[in-house]
Amino acid sequence: MNLRRWTDFLVLLAVWAGMILLFGLLRDSFFSAATLGSVANRIPALALVATGMTLVMVTGGIDLSVGSVLGLCGAVVGVVMADWQWGLPGALLASLVVGTLVGSINGVVSVKLRLPSFIVTLGMLEIARGLAFLTTDSQTKYIGAPVESLGAPIGGWVISPAFIIALIVVACGQIMLSHMALGRHLLAIGANREAALISGVPVDRPRILAHALLGTLTGLAAVFNCSRLGSADPNAGIGFELSAIAAVVVGGTSLMGGRGSVIKSLLGVLIIATLEAGLVQIGASEPIKRVVTGAVIVAAVLADGWRRK
Amino acid sequence: MKLLSRLLLTSLVLGLCACKPTSPESSTPGKPKIALVMKSLANEFFSNMAEGAKKHQAAHSDEYELLVGGIKNETDLTEQVNLVEQMTAQGAKAIVIAPADSKALIPALKRAQQAGVLVINIDNKLDAEVLKQAELSVPFVGPDNREGAKRVGEVLAKKLPAGAEVAIIEGVTTAFNGQQRRAGFEDAMKAAGMNIVAVQSGQWEMEKASNIASGILSAHPNVKALLCANDNMALGAAAAVQSAGKTGQVLIVGFDNISALKPLLTDGRVTATADQHADQLAVFGIEAALKVIQGGASPEDQTTTVDVIEK
Repeated sequence: MNLRRWTDFLVLLAVWAGMILLFGLLRDSFFSAATLGSVANRIPALALVATGMTLVMVTGGIDLSVGSVLGLCGAVVGVVMADWQWGLPGALLASLVVGTLVGSINGVVSVKLRLPSFIVTLGMLEIARGLAFLTTDSQTKYIGAPVESLGAPIGGWVISPAFIIALIVVACGQIMLSHMALGRHLLAIGANREAALISGVPVDRPRILAHALLGTLTGLAAVFNCSRLGSADPNAGIGFELSAIAAVVVGGTSLMGGRGSVIKSLLGVLIIATLEAGLVQIGASEPIKRVVTGAVIVAAVLADGWRRK
Repeated sequence: MKLLSRLLLTSLVLGLCACKPTSPESSTPGKPKIALVMKSLANEFFSNMAEGAKKHQAAHSDEYELLVGGIKNETDLTEQVNLVEQMTAQGAKAIVIAPADSKALIPALKRAQQAGVLVINIDNKLDAEVLKQAELSVPFVGPDNREGAKRVGEVLAKKLPAGAEVAIIEGVTTAFNGQQRRAGFEDAMKAAGMNIVAVQSGQWEMEKASNIASGILSAHPNVKALLCANDNMALGAAAAVQSAGKTGQVLIVGFDNISALKPLLTDGRVTATADQHADQLAVFGIEAALKVIQGGASPEDQTTTVDVIEK
């Protein structure tokens, strides 16, 4: 078991390294501090959401609303900072509260009413996007310096506070999933809900908690996203849920639940972010980018099916 | 569960009833309805457009009724086609439309015209070839995007040494206004002898444009300017330039003059943008429609002004 966990990990590392090598060969500028910086900038928000998404997906659930929730929380950050002149701590709190609230609603509705989470969160995708437009009155809010500190590299180098916070969250997520009761319950529910129920595992609360946590992390990701762009755009995060789900699936978390790792999702995030950066650098057109990204997702799902056999 | 499904079914049935087209004659006679169909309601440009139209209607409330519709994101064609059909069903005398796509909307507009609705095209010009094939004549009231982008490009070119490397971040590649802005940027850059090293689509979106700008800056370290086909993408490009530590070394221009861009224009992070007077754009279209409806004037093309904004 342990051996297999390491093989998966090494395979992912090899895929990532191969990808870097390939893009490096196609474009010598790829090996540069600027590329490293742009990938490092892209990672924090995606890593946070992928961590939360892993917790939801190991139970066999999914959340399609995270892109819109990212937009909504960003809209809240934009309004409270640009219009109300709140500072960053207040905006952070507001974003976390909104994210957690939306995540909890997703969790309670899908778990308590026994509805598939992909339908509930599909509805939430629309609701949250609509609310994002209403919140900002359909305008892009420019925030500027007050929000930029989180995403700015420390001492002008690659690593930003957002990057460090994201790594800490990933580490905590992994410890929680593999060493704490909540994590073990989530995995047990995903592996076999009936068996978990019979053996006395609480089946509802952990699932609601996983959705709520994903919401919280999306709220934090929204602040990071705003800090990176210096502005809040109600259109932010369209298609972000797909990047997050892709990262988690590439990281080997089973779509059926019961198996998954936050650290491997982080590797999935690195692979997706590197792929996106590399495709831009080689000058790939939008359709080509979509085809390649889609193919990588399908390959990951195929690998998942093959491993389960 | 049973209760829930019954509730869902009831609301579905009610929803379907609500969708049934109301007969055109059902509303107040005399006052014609003019429908304004826009692209993304999430874009400030279009909310300004809607505001301008609403103000105009309030000032001319005895002349016409206004129906306003927009889609959730700029590329959702199906939704816009649905809107055109709903507006026709609601008995609109005229539809003033900013099409999300220059070609794909034409069949729906043709159906509307066949139903007796006057169609006026604003903002993004419909494709002339496809219009001809469809045997449809739709007047265009709006700015010359190519000319506007060219003038923005010329302002930029004056600040660059000849032969400098520049990159273009274009909008959705299928949109005519996007194509025109790209062409206008290219005209200006070629005329000034600049070297265009990359052209990529940011899909009109801030985040996409930011990622793309980062990629271009690493792939082409000598790039001296990023020409963005709208201001949201210029904001994204500015963020990328800043995080690459190249503020001041890479010039940026945009298009649309949204308010979020003002601070960047003021401190020089963005050099110039174009103002096509969004608030008046819909009004020009509506007035053109009114003229036809009231006086029987024949509909014709009309070019509106674009101003280059620096600082």
